[in-house]
Amino acid sequence: MQNTVSRRTITGMAAALAATLSLGIGLTPASAEYPEKPVTLVIPYKAGGSTETMARIFSIALAKELGQKVIVKTRPGAGGAVGATEVAASPADGYTLLFAAAQSLLWPPLTQKVEFGLDSFTYVGQITEYQQAIVAKADAPYNSLAELIAHGKSNSLNYADQSAMSRTFINYIGAEEGVAWTGIPTKGGGEMVPFLLGGKIDFAWSGGIHNRYPQKMKVLASMNAGTLSASPDVASISGKYGVSMPSQAVIVVPARTPATVVATLEKAMEAASKDADFGDLLANKLKFPVKFVGSKALSADITKTAEGLKTVIEKTKN
Amino acid sequence: MLEQLITGFEAALTITNILFIAAGITLGIVIGAIPGLGSVTALAVLIPVTYYMSPLAAIAFLVGVNKGGTSGGAIPAILLNSPGTPEAAATALDGHPLAKRGEANRAMKFALYSSVSGDMISDLLLIILVVPFAAFALQFGPLEFAAVLLFAFALLAGISGDSPIKGFIAIAIGVALSTVGLDPVESTARMTFDQVNLFDGLPLASIAIGSLALASVVEQMFDLWRSGGESTIVLSQDREKENTQLPMGEFFSHWKTIIRSALIGSGVGMLPGLGVTLAAFLSYGAAKRASGDPSSYGKGNPNGIVATEAANSAVVGANLIPTIALGIPGNIAAALLISAFIIHGIVPGPFMMTMHGDLIYALFASMLMANGIHLIIGKLGIPVWAWVAKSPRALILPVVFILCMVGVYLPGQSMFDIGVMLAFAGIGLAMRRTGFSVVCLVIGFLLGGMFEISLRQSMLLYKSDIFAIIDSPISIVFLLLTLLILVRVSFKGIRNGRG
Repeated sequence: MQNTVSRRTITGMAAALAATLSLGIGLTPASAEYPEKPVTLVIPYKAGGSTETMARIFSIALAKELGQKVIVKTRPGAGGAVGATEVAASPADGYTLLFAAAQSLLWPPLTQKVEFGLDSFTYVGQITEYQQAIVAKADAPYNSLAELIAHGKSNSLNYADQSAMSRTFINYIGAEEGVAWTGIPTKGGGEMVPFLLGGKIDFAWSGGIHNRYPQKMKVLASMNAGTLSASPDVASISGKYGVSMPSQAVIVVPARTPATVVATLEKAMEAASKDADFGDLLANKLKFPVKFVGSKALSADITKTAEGLKTVIEKTKN
Repeated sequence: MLEQLITGFEAALTITNILFIAAGITLGIVIGAIPGLGSVTALAVLIPVTYYMSPLAAIAFLVGVNKGGTSGGAIPAILLNSPGTPEAAATALDGHPLAKRGEANRAMKFALYSSVSGDMISDLLLIILVVPFAAFALQFGPLEFAAVLLFAFALLAGISGDSPIKGFIAIAIGVALSTVGLDPVESTARMTFDQVNLFDGLPLASIAIGSLALASVVEQMFDLWRSGGESTIVLSQDREKENTQLPMGEFFSHWKTIIRSALIGSGVGMLPGLGVTLAAFLSYGAAKRASGDPSSYGKGNPNGIVATEAANSAVVGANLIPTIALGIPGNIAAALLISAFIIHGIVPGPFMMTMHGDLIYALFASMLMANGIHLIIGKLGIPVWAWVAKSPRALILPVVFILCMVGVYLPGQSMFDIGVMLAFAGIGLAMRRTGFSVVCLVIGFLLGGMFEISLRQSMLLYKSDIFAIIDSPISIVFLLLTLLILVRVSFKGIRNGRG
């Protein structure tokens, strides 16, 4: 008896599944309907960081544009790789989005064993750029990257990094210049700032937190492809070394998401990035520039960034 | 400063503000009392609620949530022996035996009064120290943290209870577990088995809730199933006055422990990254060490509750010192508060006092008011909790079981974390049955990870030169204290061996 019931249930479920699938296939061309249910925005970092804060405010604006609820879900771990793994494996229907730093999508597949690759995602758009820099205490005896390197040739220097990627890039510069400096791993800006201001280290990699301490820290170089919005006079490392760190804050969807869905999302993102509350948060509180880049230009940019990453990883291998 | 504080009170003493603080504290206590959920989850869930409040109301509300959430964890620790949060684990050590003896109400009052007193002392320290503190905090680098953590290890070694050898083994297992994950320096995988969820190591909340709270729930379920057990939790069945009342005079006779614990909690709170759980255990260890009768701890000594709760609540206020003075969060709860500050237009950091001084002093005033409100609401709640706990255990335990799962799932929304929790519930149960201290395992895990990073940072920074210690007076002090404790312990051991 029980057996019959369960068999019937399974048959029924299979039929329902088949119906859903065929319905889904039938509907795909007409996905102008998208979105017809709430969209989940996964943030692969711990609550409380600047990306999470930004994403929460952005999700409100995005919901207005999409005409659907946007549910924010934090899925922290492994520098973003846990959340990225989850989104890469979710259905490519536009209902699961990932709001992340590009580095979380590029660095793990190039250096670690993870279950997603460079081609696992379709890039919908960029919202802003992290303000990555090499910084030093305001009273340090060097005012530029060149002076830091000269200083490093006659002194033994320590710097704080915040990730394997930031350490690799600074060591890459050191290797190109023939300077050996020691990276001290820190768990983030919260640990780096007291070490730097307390004089425990000589310089540091910063993901943007230095903008909160304009009188106590100075920027020696931009690690982004271009200059930084708060220090437009400081050159990027890309000019001299031909490489730069991924700086894009992006929204991606699993690869093979229908193009019409991506287009709808891209349009909503562009409009949402002009939202007044979001703009105020970014410009006045987090000190990040609002810098929307659409899917096509962003994808080309990401491909180029990934090539640079491969070069740096190759050259710093021992 | 006093003048600014009075202006702060003028701004903070509004009906709306008081209502928001009260709402925050109530929500915090309720969420904190749910096993598995603590102030961190409470804050994460409630921050979006504050988007549309005024900055002062929002932050006062969240500070209330944080205070309530930290003290609420004591309630299930006392009533069910299943601490709601890792930081309340030490509360269960003495709180539950006291409850079993029929003094649950008194135990909850001890916990509440200690929380509020610890919090009050720490808030006062915050107001006095926030300006001069910044310079001192910057003295702490990797070497100093490594010395402090070594000191913590030595202080906590005595917490294990009856068998020091078993305690030591449990600590060692905890330390070994803390090495799982990506190597902090080389980023090479250590025992991760290509499982991306293990890159950051095993999740602390899953280990603590699993081995402490869930294991206790499962054990009680077994007891109930096997023997029919006592169907309700033993509470103050006999309604004699002295078993439910806690006169202020009696509470304040523990003033030495209150002050020591509040200072330990504030000290830990001022240093970014050490966390509430460490403060609770350090203070418990210190109280036990200072006591004339250490063997009474773990058997229902109210001093144990006072030590834990005063210290863990003292972290809450002191944590805002680095948050406000430097913009550096002391722990995750403070990081969440920072994100709330930012959302409400206040950029934390060295300029917060000059740019938003009015608001900061209004916040201080709200915090002081919140302590009074906390006492009232907490006291009103005690009969309610006692009443809830009187329902049949067969009803309560499954609910707590499910709440543990929800609590661990929510922050990371990860089934992996739940799996780890269930595994550690099994490990915790096995350890309880064989007389190994689960608390030591959790402490070993917590301290092991922090100590490894600080030590390796120091070794890189000073090129493994041991004489770097000479240049750091702070580390010298803590290393000498460590040595002192070790010498005392071994002398005691020799004396006991002879006796």
